[in-house]
Amino acid sequence: MLEIFSYDFMLRALLAGLLVAVTVPVMGSFLVARRYSLIADSLAHVSLAGIGAGLLLGTTPIVVAVPVTALGALLLEWLRQNRRLSGEVGLAILMSGGLALAVVLATIAKGSNTDFSSYLFGSITTTTPADVYTLAVAAAAILVLIAINYRGLLHIAFDEDSARISGYRVTLLNYLLAVMTAVMVVLSLRIVGGLLISALLVIPVVTASQVARSFAWTILLAVGAALIAIVAGLLLAFYAGIAAGGAIVLSSISLLALTMIWKK
Amino acid sequence: MHANKRLLIDADNVSVRLGQAELALDQVSVCIHSGEFIGLIGPNGAGKTTLLRTLLGLITPTSGVVHREAVAYDYIPQRGNLYSGITPLSVLEVVKLGSWGSESKARAALKTVQLTDLAAKRFNELSGGQQQRVAIAKALAANAEVLILDEPTTGIDEQAQQQFYAILHQLQVQGITIIMVSHEVEAVLKLVTRVICLNRTILYDGPPEHFEADKYLPSVYKNQHLQLHHHHEVPHA
Repeated sequence: MLEIFSYDFMLRALLAGLLVAVTVPVMGSFLVARRYSLIADSLAHVSLAGIGAGLLLGTTPIVVAVPVTALGALLLEWLRQNRRLSGEVGLAILMSGGLALAVVLATIAKGSNTDFSSYLFGSITTTTPADVYTLAVAAAAILVLIAINYRGLLHIAFDEDSARISGYRVTLLNYLLAVMTAVMVVLSLRIVGGLLISALLVIPVVTASQVARSFAWTILLAVGAALIAIVAGLLLAFYAGIAAGGAIVLSSISLLALTMIWKK
Repeated sequence: MHANKRLLIDADNVSVRLGQAELALDQVSVCIHSGEFIGLIGPNGAGKTTLLRTLLGLITPTSGVVHREAVAYDYIPQRGNLYSGITPLSVLEVVKLGSWGSESKARAALKTVQLTDLAAKRFNELSGGQQQRVAIAKALAANAEVLILDEPTTGIDEQAQQQFYAILHQLQVQGITIIMVSHEVEAVLKLVTRVICLNRTILYDGPPEHFEADKYLPSVYKNQHLQLHHHHEVPHA
């Protein structure tokens, strides 16, 4: 059992998974509260387009994917706030557009050595030390920003108008949450994969919502649920030789199902 | 009217156009003074919610100006627009949003709306009337001097409505200014100090005892006509 710790790549994957688990469900709690959880899916697809562009340019893909996805997030939030498109229509367009662009760019960049599918479904062997450092810095920054703005974000989740009247800078906080989501989506690609990341934003939160009686407890329990799912998923991926993202999401869904059965 | 009334909101010749549609508000002028309890009534699509949102600064008027005193306001939207996400929010957490995190202040506000026992409950588990009272508690915890409510009692049973109105009356006595949109014309007339009847423009603005619903709102409030008339005549009998 302990042999997995003798593999550096596995340690890196676990560490990265841990960082993802303590950050992503925190943002997910606010997004789910606002019924805006599909944003992660759309941004993940946009991030894949950024990865494709990065591969094509021959740079480190996430260096391109982070700003591209952040711009996508700003655009989505702008569309939502200005009611140019209803929220779900904007999400759907960005989702399919992002994936279409990703597929085209990845096809053109096919000559490169990087396996594009590892970004789609996650892979435990591809996490580099630089990935872990970047993730650690981003996770710390995001958690601090959320802690500072917790009350404002919660007020917006409860009611945007009332938050605005209370003096919160609602527009700014909305953009902030969107960009933070974008950054974590890109940085989680290696572990969970672009097609599955939204599950990690949503499922642990839904699992926690089954038992928690407050928002604060939901966040704590969602982080716990994500930790269990990611560790279980990575172990499964290691021993069964399956894609990490798939194993993590299936673990997460199993945990949700168990919680629902237990609650009955 | 109170002798020491203060001008809180002054809307001057305000028109609002939403999208390409015709004017939602057409040259509306209204002054709100401290201590008033205003019932805002009018048919569907009359621009009542638009007026509330404009007074609060959530909508910028197409023309005209709104001046607001810098006091604490709170807005309680229509019941269906209160939080309904699946992430649980406890009642205490909601009220603490108003008190900027102070638990003692939040608990005191919950006591005022008689919901102390439900502090640990999930907001979503509460009945419609209870949710509205939690929203009021949040406003009280924020020391709101002006409370703006949009059809707070729609879909709430009679008993809960009476309880809700009693709380509003108590708040008004304490000096809180209240502006409330409602379709419950009869109940509103008994409660408020001033009635504004709106249908894109102001049709009536004055004391409730002089308001004639059948004159200003013949089709909308036909069913309540007789009762209203009766109520209208009693004070003058």
